[in-house]
Amino acid sequence: MTSAGVRTNARPAWLSQTREPRTLIRLAVIVVLLLFVLLALPSMLSLYYVDAMIQVAVYTVVALGLGILVGRVGLVSLGQAAVLAIGAWVSARLLFATSLSFPIVLLASGLVTMVLGTLVGLPALRMRGLYLALITLMLAGAITVVLSTTNFPNGGHGFLGYNGGNVHVPPIRRPSIAATDQAFFRYTVVVSILMFFLVLAHVRGRPGRAWASIRQSESAALAAGINTTLYKLWALALAAFITGVAGGLLAGGQRYLYSIDFVTQDSIILLAVVLMGGAYSMWGAIIAGLLYKFLPALLNNWGVSSDWLTILFGIGVLQALTTAPAGIVDQFPKDMARLGRRLRGLVKRRPPARGEAG
Amino acid sequence: MPSWSDFQPFLVTGLSLGGVYALSGVGMVVLFRATGVLNLAFGAVGAMGALIAWQLINKSGTNEWLAFLVCIVFAGVITLAYGMVFGPALAGREPLVKAVATLGLTLVLLGIMDLLWTSSGGASRSIQLPTDSNTFMIGSVQVSLTNVIALVFGLVLTLITGAFLRYTKLGTAMRAMANDREITATLGVPVRRVEATAWFGCGILSGVAGLLLADLVALDATTLTFLVISALAATLIARLRSITVTFFAAVVIGVVNAMITPIQSLTNYRDMTPFVLAVAALLLLSRKREIAVGRQGI
Amino acid sequence: MIDVSDVTVRFGGVTPLDGMSVRFEQGICGLIGPNGAGKTTFFNVLSGFVRPVAGTITAFGEDLLKMVHFRRARWGVRRTFQTEQAIEELSIYENVAMIHEHSKMKGGSRREDVLGAIEFVKLEGDPYAKVRTLGAGQRRLVEVARAVVGRPRLVLLDEPAAGLPDEETGHLREVIRGIPEHMGAQVILVDHDMSLVSAVCEMTAVLDFGRLLASGPTAEVLRDERVIRAYLGTEEVA
Repeated sequence: MTSAGVRTNARPAWLSQTREPRTLIRLAVIVVLLLFVLLALPSMLSLYYVDAMIQVAVYTVVALGLGILVGRVGLVSLGQAAVLAIGAWVSARLLFATSLSFPIVLLASGLVTMVLGTLVGLPALRMRGLYLALITLMLAGAITVVLSTTNFPNGGHGFLGYNGGNVHVPPIRRPSIAATDQAFFRYTVVVSILMFFLVLAHVRGRPGRAWASIRQSESAALAAGINTTLYKLWALALAAFITGVAGGLLAGGQRYLYSIDFVTQDSIILLAVVLMGGAYSMWGAIIAGLLYKFLPALLNNWGVSSDWLTILFGIGVLQALTTAPAGIVDQFPKDMARLGRRLRGLVKRRPPARGEAG
Repeated sequence: MPSWSDFQPFLVTGLSLGGVYALSGVGMVVLFRATGVLNLAFGAVGAMGALIAWQLINKSGTNEWLAFLVCIVFAGVITLAYGMVFGPALAGREPLVKAVATLGLTLVLLGIMDLLWTSSGGASRSIQLPTDSNTFMIGSVQVSLTNVIALVFGLVLTLITGAFLRYTKLGTAMRAMANDREITATLGVPVRRVEATAWFGCGILSGVAGLLLADLVALDATTLTFLVISALAATLIARLRSITVTFFAAVVIGVVNAMITPIQSLTNYRDMTPFVLAVAALLLLSRKREIAVGRQGI
Repeated sequence: MIDVSDVTVRFGGVTPLDGMSVRFEQGICGLIGPNGAGKTTFFNVLSGFVRPVAGTITAFGEDLLKMVHFRRARWGVRRTFQTEQAIEELSIYENVAMIHEHSKMKGGSRREDVLGAIEFVKLEGDPYAKVRTLGAGQRRLVEVARAVVGRPRLVLLDEPAAGLPDEETGHLREVIRGIPEHMGAQVILVDHDMSLVSAVCEMTAVLDFGRLLASGPTAEVLRDERVIRAYLGTEEVA
């Protein structure tokens, strides 16, 4: 820092930040973790858990999308499960009816979901807060009803691709390079990482700043010249896109889709885990994914009912809203820091007083 | 296209359900106006009360009416307890936050209900209200006393609540609090007492609605919990303000939903009724775009 | 020059602005009036958040009311709010740059313009520090910087001195004084701090009950009996 006034030769923040040792260490840790997950983990786990981890990756992406909406723009969606269902449906339909490659199918589901999400979002954005959230609940409810009638494509013909009388239902196909569960897990993780980068690019760039401004105060954002409707739609579009892609991954992962997997309760639990994991941080999405799909698998394996988790999530919502609005990811480091301070305080008191303040 | 006589029994069902939705909707609107909380756990509370009543009747041999009373009181107490703990904790927050918090309560209740009264294993429970057996004919349709009670309760409650809000001291206090809790407190209104009344009253209605819906529809935790969405749709159409509109919207939703049942081409989609009506009403009624000042979201 | 003609705002049974007509000349103009007089509503009309049921506003020869709200900033209307609007998690630079981004200024001159604005308000220290690390007075300066960056035509300041200690108000006074000359913008200042208003505003308009009560050179207006009465709320004696 110079002594007189403003530094006019200062570098942009991100550049000076990446030179700091702390950031480099963080990056290194992330890279190591990723390599571990990609290379070592699949062979370490049983098929049961590999399957669960595929779902964790999928729902991490969904949670990421919901986190953008809730944490960055302040839009609460009570219907993300329905959005995921749309993505899964489109993917399943394309995978059965066409021979398009898997990545193209993923892209297509992402785009279709994005378009639908934006079309629906545009009139809905006229509403604020509570009403907007409730409209998402209503829309999701409508989609759920339609889905229970049309069902998911299962290789049949016609627009819906559903053959109710299909005795032998073929599984949804997978990419040729990722036919086994372990391979598909790696595939899912790679796609999820791509989605993360997509979101990161938004958050660090102009949309991210505009979203921060809108979240702080919409009127101030407007007064700053920000087209708030546009940026809100952009957030909706982004969230819908990645959720659509996640739907495709889900289709490939599960291989058999049922409408009962996308009910209203799921949307609510999704919101709960996102709030618990921290809507504002991208790490929170990973925690949300683990809460949503890893813990139940764990409990199931141990013979414990997953109802206990439902109760936990309910309490988690209440806790998150009353005490830690930024979620576990914000609260956990704070708690750890407080713990650290207390421990240091204890250690300092050990040696007899040397004139040090406590 | 089905004939009028085909529609008639569905009209009866529709009116009964509409009456219960109105009961629920009015309860939610009043609580919202008094506390700013849209109680999305309304259905879950009623569901749990109904299951407790079922448990008492079928497993402990308790007298029906006592069991029903327990259900209703339980619902009132649970709702009151939630309101007394989380009301103050979230008092200054936006309505959205308060509503999402009630979703937390919903999840807790759903978890408990599924643990204690698991729905897997094909267990099918039901509650039969004694008024079911009182039937009579209107024209060619069979109507039970339960059907009548459902509609009448809804209607009577709407009227009483309207009168209560307008003409009594407590009611006026509630309307004042909807505007500004703090200012109302400085006027000497016992704010906490008024809130407690609103919470307890809402809970009581949950219990009653829970029993009626358990009887008319099914005694299933998830079904009953999410039936609240139909009542919610009615409250949204009323913009969370007018209880008269809530009543009429609720009845329309109930009737349309039921009456679509015999229509072959639409029947699979009949449960979309509340959603479609709510969305249409919201989009049509909110022509003017409001600009928010201050922090958005959670 | 801003020409306000017969502007009326009505909603929900209230009429915050009732046929307000006034002309704001170049330079720095004050807008004062007792609480509830309609000052913030007027600013909201200028910002485009509130639509008047009657009246017109012509700014530098253009019909302001025809423009959509977020386009007005692009056109050159800037505003500070009574509540803090600087974004805590972003740096000073990013906060000011955001305004520049969404205006019609070219990206090439951005660094220069942003740092220039920060320098103009004499905000010392690291421009890349996060706003959350700043004190109240400094945050106000960030908001003023946001209001003057680029080439604004009209700067609306809504109680910028509220809650600030005297020395920081003094600093603010100097900054505001410099806006017309250095940034080429007209300023309308709403504040209750009469010493600030009389120090920087050549001309002042007084609102009461949504109507113009008086307007003219600041010193005269502040001595006007009707204005004093409006603030003290005494009844007119027949």
